[in-house]
Amino acid sequence: MNNLHGIIFAYETHPGLRELTAHRNTASVPYGGRYRVIDFMLSSLVNAGTDGVGLIVEAGYQSLLDHVGSGKDWDLSRKRGGLRILPPFGSPEKNGRYRGRMDALWGVFSYLNTIRQDYVVLANGDLIASLPLAELLEAHLLSGADITAVCARPHGDAGGARIPFSPNENGLTSHGPAGTAGVREYPRLEVYILSRQLLLSLTEHCAARGIFSFSGDVLGPMASALKISPWFFEGYAHRLESAQGYYACSMDLLNPAIRDSLFHPARAVKTKDRSDPSTYYGPDSRCVNSLVADGCIIEGEVSRCVLFRGVRVEKGAKVTDCILMQGSAVSAGAALKSVIADKNVLVHPGRMLMGHETYPLVIAKNTVI
Amino acid sequence: MKKECIAMLLAGGQGSRLYALTSRVAKPAVPFGGKFRIIDFPLSNCANSGIDTVGVLTQYRPLELHRYIGNGQPWDLDRSDGGVHILPPYVREGGSGTWYRGTANAIYQNMDFIQQYHPDHVLVLSGDHIYKMDYAKLLRQHKKAGAACTVSVLEVPRQEASRFGILSADQTGTILEFEEKPAVPKSNLASMGIYVFRWETLRAYLTADEADGSSGHDFGGDIIPKMLAGGEKLTAFRFEGYWKDVGTIDSLWDANMDLLSVKGGVMIYDKRWPVYTRSPTRPPHVTGDKAVLSHSIVTGGCQVSGRVENSVLFHSVLVEEGAQVRYSILMPGVVVQAGARVEYAIVAEGAVIGGGAAVGAPPDGSDAWGVAVVAGGIRVAPYAVVPPGAMIQDTGKGGVQYE
Repeated sequence: MNNLHGIIFAYETHPGLRELTAHRNTASVPYGGRYRVIDFMLSSLVNAGTDGVGLIVEAGYQSLLDHVGSGKDWDLSRKRGGLRILPPFGSPEKNGRYRGRMDALWGVFSYLNTIRQDYVVLANGDLIASLPLAELLEAHLLSGADITAVCARPHGDAGGARIPFSPNENGLTSHGPAGTAGVREYPRLEVYILSRQLLLSLTEHCAARGIFSFSGDVLGPMASALKISPWFFEGYAHRLESAQGYYACSMDLLNPAIRDSLFHPARAVKTKDRSDPSTYYGPDSRCVNSLVADGCIIEGEVSRCVLFRGVRVEKGAKVTDCILMQGSAVSAGAALKSVIADKNVLVHPGRMLMGHETYPLVIAKNTVI
Repeated sequence: MKKECIAMLLAGGQGSRLYALTSRVAKPAVPFGGKFRIIDFPLSNCANSGIDTVGVLTQYRPLELHRYIGNGQPWDLDRSDGGVHILPPYVREGGSGTWYRGTANAIYQNMDFIQQYHPDHVLVLSGDHIYKMDYAKLLRQHKKAGAACTVSVLEVPRQEASRFGILSADQTGTILEFEEKPAVPKSNLASMGIYVFRWETLRAYLTADEADGSSGHDFGGDIIPKMLAGGEKLTAFRFEGYWKDVGTIDSLWDANMDLLSVKGGVMIYDKRWPVYTRSPTRPPHVTGDKAVLSHSIVTGGCQVSGRVENSVLFHSVLVEEGAQVRYSILMPGVVVQAGARVEYAIVAEGAVIGGGAAVGAPPDGSDAWGVAVVAGGIRVAPYAVVPPGAMIQDTGKGGVQYE
């Protein structure tokens, strides 16, 4: 029924995320009221019919393990296939960290050999997007490319990694060197599809030559020997790399068009089930322009916020332009503006905290103020 | 493998007094309290009480209920030894076997299932009550008393006592008398329909009762009186806390409203005794620019742009700007369009209340007043009026204009 396997590189921790990654990898940063970043890629894979996903982790992945568990919330707890956590196989000669994605793939090479599906999606654990990966596979088969790279449409001077393509008779199908005439660079989402055979041979090839970087080598010097095609994703996508970016992409959820793209009815985003009750609004509460998860008790004022599960906003408290993660509580008389409060932050009565949208105040997990 | 105690959950009833709400699903599958279905309460109680083997007896409109229970995973009842088992009536050798004829007959027909676990005790539960209860405490008292049967009871107001099975007990809790719905109640101790039996004794009484052609094969009406008459030791277990039979439209509406007092009702926010549920994956709910939410509960996937007061919103409900919802229960996927007013109503899954329509009204003291009910999937036309107490099941009936 499906012929797709997923490999997610979930070992990275972006330092730009500051306190948010003090206790977790980028992939398990809470996002969107009830999700973790990895939920979007896991769900995209599952929604495309994928029933085998390998999660490459390296260090500091307790939070991620706690979240994904056996994979049952994504229907990935299987007798055959399903979710596999792939920690490094420690060896004396290798005491550093993965130096790149090819290095990481070599680290889990024995797992790659067990993949039954013919095609493999490689993705990073930091991408927030609901991708129609079945369409990607279709496009990949149709174009006959060796590797298809998921790209966004270039807009403005948005930064981030890019990939050059030059036009040819079939549109943009050949991956030309940057700087050549007609070549344009497109933002890449670091999601690629290729055949299992090519993945295995590339991994062996790179390991034998000490090549460890996918973007630097496979997409670089090696690209001339490969046919690399772009596939454009038109929906919302955000690669999570900084606290400011986190703040911005959280606030993006208050935009209905972006919500519709991320929570596309045909591609539900699945997450760990907590069986929270509904959210209660008190008689004098006010809550406008906000995204609120289940299990909250709101008795104060909330405006333009993202509230995770089990947040309490007491009567007389005022929360504006904030992101409050699971279990945070704001006591009576406290006022918060442009604050990202990590899990279980407790703000005592009367405290005033204010950041700015260009530099949100990030409060670390379990802090009492 | 042997189990000390297994639970048998009676979930086959139609719940005919819920009318339109159970025209397509069994009562235990009726949504309750924003996130739950009624059956979540006994199932969660089992999980929290350490009972890992539950037989769920189904009969009326079981498909949605079966799908909901699935493998029991939401309640941690997906076990390789025990777990949740769905038990519909079945055909036996020689074409025998019947529908379940009464609560006792339903258990009688599943004696082979119970016997597989060689239990010492069997807990009999019903799938239409909202409460949190530690069945382990009930079992402890039952074992300590050495009773053949222990009935869970609670004190009810005297004037309501004749609606229940009423029993009298001595100071030690031994039951002296039991009367089903007595005209003149002798006490205010009401049976909650929760029993734990010594299995060997129950098996003997069920077998005898099955042979009794005049029996109604009902626990309250037949088995308990027969055990008393047979000189068995029956004790009462006093339950304190919130308990509600949600068998009628009014009691279902009441129980949902009770939930809104965070420290009252069935205390869904008390994490020490969680209520588990199989919830569909929905993003968090969103509130609009002009949203007003007061003393209400709201669930994932909802979009609230209008005014919601004293109400319970299940997942994926849409309340458009300018719409008003008061003292109402909106089940999953309900849409209340701009300018519509919904008051003192229960609107079932997927119903659409057209713009400017008025559903229900506040109590006016008249006898005719009641909670208005709109059945699942119905479209109430724009500017239509659904009077209080109306039950809209079919499009086009009731003398008012419906689409």
